[in-house]
Amino acid sequence: MQLITILIVAFLGAGIVYLIGKISGKARDILAVLASLIVVILVSLAYNQKIYTSFYPLPFLNLSLTLRIDPLSWFFAIAVAGIGFLSILFSLEYMKHYQKLDFYYSMMLFVNAGMLGVVLSADFLSLYIFWEIMSWSTYLLISYKGGKAVGAGLKYIVMSTVGSIAMLFAIVSLYTSYGTLEFSSLASLLQTASSGYILFLLIMFIIGFGIKNAIWPLHTWLPDAHAEAVSPFSAVLSGILVRIGIYGFVLVMYSIVGLNLLHKLGYGLLNFNYILCWIGAISIIIGTFIALLQDDDKRLLAWHAIGQGGYMILGISFGTTLGIAGGIFHTLNHCIYIALLFLVTGAVEYRTGGVRDLNQLGGLIKKMPVTFIGGLIGISGLIGIPLTNGFVSKWLIYKTLIMEKHPFLAFVALIGTWGTILSVYKFLHNIFLGQLPEKYKDVKEVPWAMRLPMIILTSVIILFGILPGIPLNVISGIERSFGIKPLSTIIFGMPREIGELNIINILAAIVVAGVFIYLIFSLSTRSRRVNQYDNYAAGSFIPKDKYQYSVRFYDPVYRIIGPYLRDVVDDFYYWLVEKSKSFFQGVRQIYTGNVNTYALYILLFLAFLIITKIGWGLW
Amino acid sequence: MVIKAVWIIVLPIIAFIIGVFFLGLSRKVIARIHRRYGPPIYQPVIDLIKLMNQKSISHGRLFDMGVILSLAGSIVLVLFIPFGGIAPLSGSGDFLVVLYLMLLAPLGVALSGGEGANPNISIGISRKMMLSLGYEVPLLFSILAVMTYYKTTSLVEITKAQQHLSWGVIYLPLPAIAYFMILPAMLGIRPFDIVSAPQEISSGPSVEYGGRYLALMTVEHAFHTFIVLALFVDLFLGGGNPFTFFVKMLVVFLLGLFIHAVFPRFRIDQAIKYCWKWPSILALAGLVIAYVVA
Repeated sequence: MQLITILIVAFLGAGIVYLIGKISGKARDILAVLASLIVVILVSLAYNQKIYTSFYPLPFLNLSLTLRIDPLSWFFAIAVAGIGFLSILFSLEYMKHYQKLDFYYSMMLFVNAGMLGVVLSADFLSLYIFWEIMSWSTYLLISYKGGKAVGAGLKYIVMSTVGSIAMLFAIVSLYTSYGTLEFSSLASLLQTASSGYILFLLIMFIIGFGIKNAIWPLHTWLPDAHAEAVSPFSAVLSGILVRIGIYGFVLVMYSIVGLNLLHKLGYGLLNFNYILCWIGAISIIIGTFIALLQDDDKRLLAWHAIGQGGYMILGISFGTTLGIAGGIFHTLNHCIYIALLFLVTGAVEYRTGGVRDLNQLGGLIKKMPVTFIGGLIGISGLIGIPLTNGFVSKWLIYKTLIMEKHPFLAFVALIGTWGTILSVYKFLHNIFLGQLPEKYKDVKEVPWAMRLPMIILTSVIILFGILPGIPLNVISGIERSFGIKPLSTIIFGMPREIGELNIINILAAIVVAGVFIYLIFSLSTRSRRVNQYDNYAAGSFIPKDKYQYSVRFYDPVYRIIGPYLRDVVDDFYYWLVEKSKSFFQGVRQIYTGNVNTYALYILLFLAFLIITKIGWGLW
Repeated sequence: MVIKAVWIIVLPIIAFIIGVFFLGLSRKVIARIHRRYGPPIYQPVIDLIKLMNQKSISHGRLFDMGVILSLAGSIVLVLFIPFGGIAPLSGSGDFLVVLYLMLLAPLGVALSGGEGANPNISIGISRKMMLSLGYEVPLLFSILAVMTYYKTTSLVEITKAQQHLSWGVIYLPLPAIAYFMILPAMLGIRPFDIVSAPQEISSGPSVEYGGRYLALMTVEHAFHTFIVLALFVDLFLGGGNPFTFFVKMLVVFLLGLFIHAVFPRFRIDQAIKYCWKWPSILALAGLVIAYVVA
């Protein structure tokens, strides 16, 4: 009952918001926030419960639609609900100047409801239905702004449909083989299946979920979609919607197929996990290093979303206690900091009149300190600086890679992090640091409705960074439910048998050292505050508004690595589109529009049939 | 417990003394190679005291905090890296933690400098970032070779496995050579002093620093020198007791100075290409060998 209530609230909320919007804008805003908040509360009440309900027996196929909650689905549901709530809160001010707000809020709630449905489903049919609701409402939201966004949306929906079809293929095949689509019964039925069949299922699901999760080489829809969507929705899209793909991977690989079967897939060195690892590794390299070349702040983050997705795949594809924990934890962490970063870019857009070009911003730290802190903590999480959440999950992943003796993968993961540092520093520097252009000198901090979501996300990053035991505890619950040895955790880090990591000591050391230096710093001769134009340039004077050294900030590196960093896959898809266009052009020639020709076709076909018939008769 | 607490206080002081000594020594040695007389070895100490009492300017809160973060990061790092078998906080963080903590210092400088709004700073930071991307490739290869060979991510375990002269450099010569080749890039000394490059970009990131800021940056540099050398000794030269550890650090440092002091400064693209060529190839070969052997 409880699960049905969650979904009813989520879906009804979306519908009612649309209708109320026709009457009053204010009421719609309040209702949208309330609806998403109630969902958060309902989901958090379901913590640590195990519920299974069948809510609609289908009159055909002998199936019924079912819902369930277990540690895995709760974990993703709370992330969906939380990010959904915060981005709707953020939208209140951000979206004020846009048209068609009824549609926007209704679709935001619809996407959330769809995602909740996906993670709460207990059988593949309900999952598929909610998956489609989610995909289509995402499409509508991506193209919401019109213009370029429509193209981005189309690209998304075409790829998403391909994924859905692959998934449907697997689902239908499961149904015809086993007559049921429930996860729990499939999990036991599949244990006797042949390796070939399992491999087929996994590949189909990986195409389906992988397109959503934007793993290389299925990632090409993501940069356009992220850049063109409105910022609060980019936060949802990049934060959690894309990561429903990871949910799918974990669900299929560990909850249904199971570790025993996975280990059997492969010949010698070439096994399934290993190939998946390398796909993750390639995603890391492609994502983080192409991000380095971007000048559009949202596009830069979008490429990181691809890169960080690679880390999650790396983590979960190993199938060890540490690896799965790292992968799932990184999914949560990524969801928090990337949502924060998209909200930060949204806040900057809001105050600068929609500027996304990194080369035109600068110096906003003095005008928007709260947003700056959000940006700083966000990028620290993305890099994985100690004391932020990204650190612990990356540590788990690296540790897995080294302990499982995969130094080359570990190298890829580590060098990906160093590439990340370069591009996110450029992100922070070009928006907030450096010289403040004259045109932004009256910029103010964003209103509270936008500040609050950023502050909440910032504090969660720090909280999970210092007390990683809180989320890791839930994650070990997930591992227990898969029948894998659960990760044993302590609140501040890892117990000694797993590895040396105790955040509280690191925190204490940094705080003590910082305070000590601060004391020395304040005791020595005071310094004088100067403005941004009062600085040393070897006797020459620094002109106003001419200082933008961030244009091609890493030029020598671009020149060395730039030629290798083309998105070949995207080019390939476009080539494919061009070629198929001319092919279909050719096919079109058949349809001349002349009735006589069609009559001729019919005649020829009949003649063909007669001839074959006679031919058969003769044999 | 008490001993540990004492070491937590004493070790940064030792690191500070050694680091400052190295700074003074390097100026003297380079001067002698250049056939100059050079300043006295205790010159950095005089400078520090003088700088602390000088006037300076500030560009804002982050400008101050970045410098403090940078130095704090370096001091904390000293507690995680074994110095002659003493590593009071090594139980709270392994080598991966050390690698990440090494980010705090450059990040602090980059943030602080960013608020300085000076073109020279931006150029300097951009060079620093690119240079570190350059030397991280061979560095990560050689570090991973060590971790793979000893099958642990703990620095204490790595040094423990190298006792009785079974030094890492004997078993992993290629990664050791690669690390040695990028040592000056990590230390920011010739021919890799691209980041500061006083003649081109007026000391780069530290151009706006004066007085106490410059003092803290000098101290940070001293700590950084200590950390980079200590890591080398721990990874490849078997640690030792505090005294032999210091001697090993000194030898590595002097060797690095002698070889590199005679080179003129690289351009940034040359430096990156250098790092990605020979050191990377050697370190990668070392990693492959370690992977096969271990």
